[in-house]
Amino acid sequence: MATKHDQHLKEATIPVAGMTCAACVRKVEKALHGMPGVHGATVNLAAGKAGVSYDPALCDVPAMCDQIEKIGYDVPAARIELLVLGMTPGHCEHVIGPAVKALSGVRDVQFNFATDTVTVEYLDSVASAADIKNTIRSLGYEVHDKGEGEAGLDRERQLRQAELRRQAINMLVAWPLASIVMLCTFSGYAPLSSFMPSWADDKPLLFALTTPLVLGPGRQFFVHSWNGLIRGVTDMNLLYATGIGAAYGIAVINTFFQDAGFGGERVTFYEAAALLIAFIVLGRYLEALTRGRTSEAIRKLMKLRPRRATVLRNGIETEIPADEVRVGDIVVIKPGDAIPVDGVIVDGYSSVDESMVTGESLPVEKRVGDEVIAGAINKMGAFRFEARRVGADTALAQIIRLVEEAQTTKAPIQALADRVAGNFILGVHALALTVFLFWFFAGYSLWFTTDTRLILTPYKLSELEVFGFALLVSVSVLIISCPCAVGLATPAAMMAGTGKGAEFGILFKGADAVESSSRVNTVVFDKTGTLTRGEPSVTDVIVAPPPPSETSRRDVSTVDDVLALAAAAEKHSEHPLGEAIVRGASDRGLDPPDPQTFDSVPGQGVVAKIDGRDVLLGNRKLMAERSIDIALLASEAERLESEGKTAMFVAVDGALAGVVAVADTLKETSAQAVRELRKMGLEIVMMSGDNRRTAEAIAAQVGITRVLAEVLPGGKAAEVRRLQEEGGVVAMVGDGVNDAPALAQADVGMAIGSGTDVAKETGSVILIRDDILDVVAKIQIARQTMRLVRQNLFWAFGYNAATIPLAAGIAYPLIHQIVSPELAALLMATSSFSVTMNTLRMRGYRPPIKRGPPTTQTQRAPEPQLAEAAR
Amino acid sequence: MKITHANAGRIAAVLYTGGSLLATLVFFTAATIGDYGWVARLGGAGWIFVLAMIILMPTVTPWVRERAGEQVTPAAHH
Repeated sequence: MATKHDQHLKEATIPVAGMTCAACVRKVEKALHGMPGVHGATVNLAAGKAGVSYDPALCDVPAMCDQIEKIGYDVPAARIELLVLGMTPGHCEHVIGPAVKALSGVRDVQFNFATDTVTVEYLDSVASAADIKNTIRSLGYEVHDKGEGEAGLDRERQLRQAELRRQAINMLVAWPLASIVMLCTFSGYAPLSSFMPSWADDKPLLFALTTPLVLGPGRQFFVHSWNGLIRGVTDMNLLYATGIGAAYGIAVINTFFQDAGFGGERVTFYEAAALLIAFIVLGRYLEALTRGRTSEAIRKLMKLRPRRATVLRNGIETEIPADEVRVGDIVVIKPGDAIPVDGVIVDGYSSVDESMVTGESLPVEKRVGDEVIAGAINKMGAFRFEARRVGADTALAQIIRLVEEAQTTKAPIQALADRVAGNFILGVHALALTVFLFWFFAGYSLWFTTDTRLILTPYKLSELEVFGFALLVSVSVLIISCPCAVGLATPAAMMAGTGKGAEFGILFKGADAVESSSRVNTVVFDKTGTLTRGEPSVTDVIVAPPPPSETSRRDVSTVDDVLALAAAAEKHSEHPLGEAIVRGASDRGLDPPDPQTFDSVPGQGVVAKIDGRDVLLGNRKLMAERSIDIALLASEAERLESEGKTAMFVAVDGALAGVVAVADTLKETSAQAVRELRKMGLEIVMMSGDNRRTAEAIAAQVGITRVLAEVLPGGKAAEVRRLQEEGGVVAMVGDGVNDAPALAQADVGMAIGSGTDVAKETGSVILIRDDILDVVAKIQIARQTMRLVRQNLFWAFGYNAATIPLAAGIAYPLIHQIVSPELAALLMATSSFSVTMNTLRMRGYRPPIKRGPPTTQTQRAPEPQLAEAAR
Repeated sequence: MKITHANAGRIAAVLYTGGSLLATLVFFTAATIGDYGWVARLGGAGWIFVLAMIILMPTVTPWVRERAGEQVTPAAHH
């Protein structure tokens, strides 16, 4: 029988991953037993679960999970994304968060107010999704599952439209009623007095008109603030509720108890309560509108994936839902079709528009063996391809996931804004208290006159007594201070910015990456594969002049002759330089013969017999050992080497025939990108493992003056750290795999040219295309986004902060006018309106570097400089 | 009284309600000494109580919960 002490113990089953033996079991059990409040722990190795009996007053499931993870095991948690409607930033996380975390088994709760999403990590063996949803519903919110893929997005859009409709209905109720209340209140003043009936400002009539407003559209503020207060948190709703409540309360007292001393029948603030509700509802409507618009980028990406696909099954073309395409299926694509999954072309030829997925502006030609990606649109040709990645593994799905994840993260500036907004509400209430005390005990007796008016109204407050006056000023401070747009200012701009990046094939992995990118002052480029193509190509071929004494090699007298012989010697080489020469010959339409013999001389070159002639291809050492005189072309070779190229001498039958130079060439847009980055005031650094002369030669071609040469792969991160110590906010641009440590060390790691397998990439920003200009575009988008964030924060805080002293009555002793609560509400709604309009500007934004005509799609190696040495 | 997770909410409620009532009482006394009318005294006291509760509830509650957490942790060493 359980003792009284045992009766309040709880049981939990925690999944544990990573255990391999009985020792692991003992370790986990021991760790759990060592926790206060844990009465029993039994670990099952085969099931991978720990059964724990614990006292919930002393211990909870997240603490046990942390303990298990601390000793090196994983606790796999389920994850649910919920669409929760009716949340307001800065408040609801303090209402929903603690309530959901109080559920046994819930590990973490995250909020994204821009998308109305609550993400909960929980142990499905302890808590259930239904428990979580019911808990949030019990707090007065509408909860729905966030569906997967396009269906989920459609549903989300429907729900969001429903929320918009609800707020629109609130507006339809609030605005006409509030306007009538306003007109009635001032019906005794010209010009209204000429046509309004005398009974229009009867207080019971105003009461009858205002009460449905307070109980209808205004009810939400009271419900939300009460839900927060009983959990010990405050929010914007509380400001609204106290403002509306105080204005309405005084009006009701002065209507029905006119001698109570609150100013009497002349002082009713029905119009204040009514207009407050109308303006706040307008703000809510605008916020709902902004939230819907900022997820437009993801919606666009989602729409790209076709719903149906045509596959070959048993040799017959069959149309099936795109979700049912399996890896290995042969998919048939006709002109104009959208590609349903990722794969490799096995038959046919076409050009494909990948612009919506990769940002590539021109159609890309695709042949057998080329990859195609889901979401791309086929142009004129037809082809068949084998499905390689389907469902959540496709590039498009990975990009969507990455953008969504980025949009759920919080930028440091947002955390700061949230903290400020959170403390601001408390501060405002403290200020309202101080203002009330000041005007109650000192201000009223010192300055109050019977000429007192509300700003911009003819409304006299001559009958106002000390409490009514001090309360009015105090309420105005509460309302005017409300930074209701702050919660939306940063996430809305971030969503717009990350979405805009995705449109151009630039994926920010988080809001912090956007913020860091905007602050970057130093850009470090890895040389090989980033600024350069990463594969050598033939740049120069020079033919040696025939010495008068020799006639044996007169048949090797042209550039093509030299290149063909060099290519023939290297035909079976696997060396990158050799491959470059063979490719170079092939590009010029040459067909080099097979060598009869071929011998590689390590560190020197190759020796081959071609068509009966002895051919040497290699460096000075090879030539010296074979007694070949290179004096005729020695100076040319030195010049080529000083340009960062590798010069190889070609000798035929013991005589020098020419020089072939090979180099890793610059990408077409490298120099332009460096120039643009310089114009933006950034310091550009090139990092390379090459020797200083080669590295500097390449750097000089793109206009980079600071070169870090001979840096071994392992030393790149240290060089980045050194630049950071010099005060640089460093962006490292690399290929994402070899440069992973340096990308991780940099403030912003940019993996360039990832192609479409974005999930593998390291770095906080991924540039899908292999275009260095995207580095410029990325910084431009980040800067524009942060500009938007700062502007939004200004609009959110600016009006209110500037007018607080006015609301507190600082000008009253001089002008005998005070701010009315409805004017305060108007200013508040203006904040929301400004933030909304400012954020929507991002929709039409194009980074300046992308505003010109599209760049050429095909990036060919430059034609080799071919010369026949004149003599 | 020892603060635990179980009684933290109650202790916090006592503290913030007590604090708000104290502020209200101070206001009421000052208004009475200042010879203000009953409406001003009662209305003002009510408003002070509301604002004091709004200020104290979210500050006292986390503070008490934090202390409850601090007092539980050392038990792990026993």
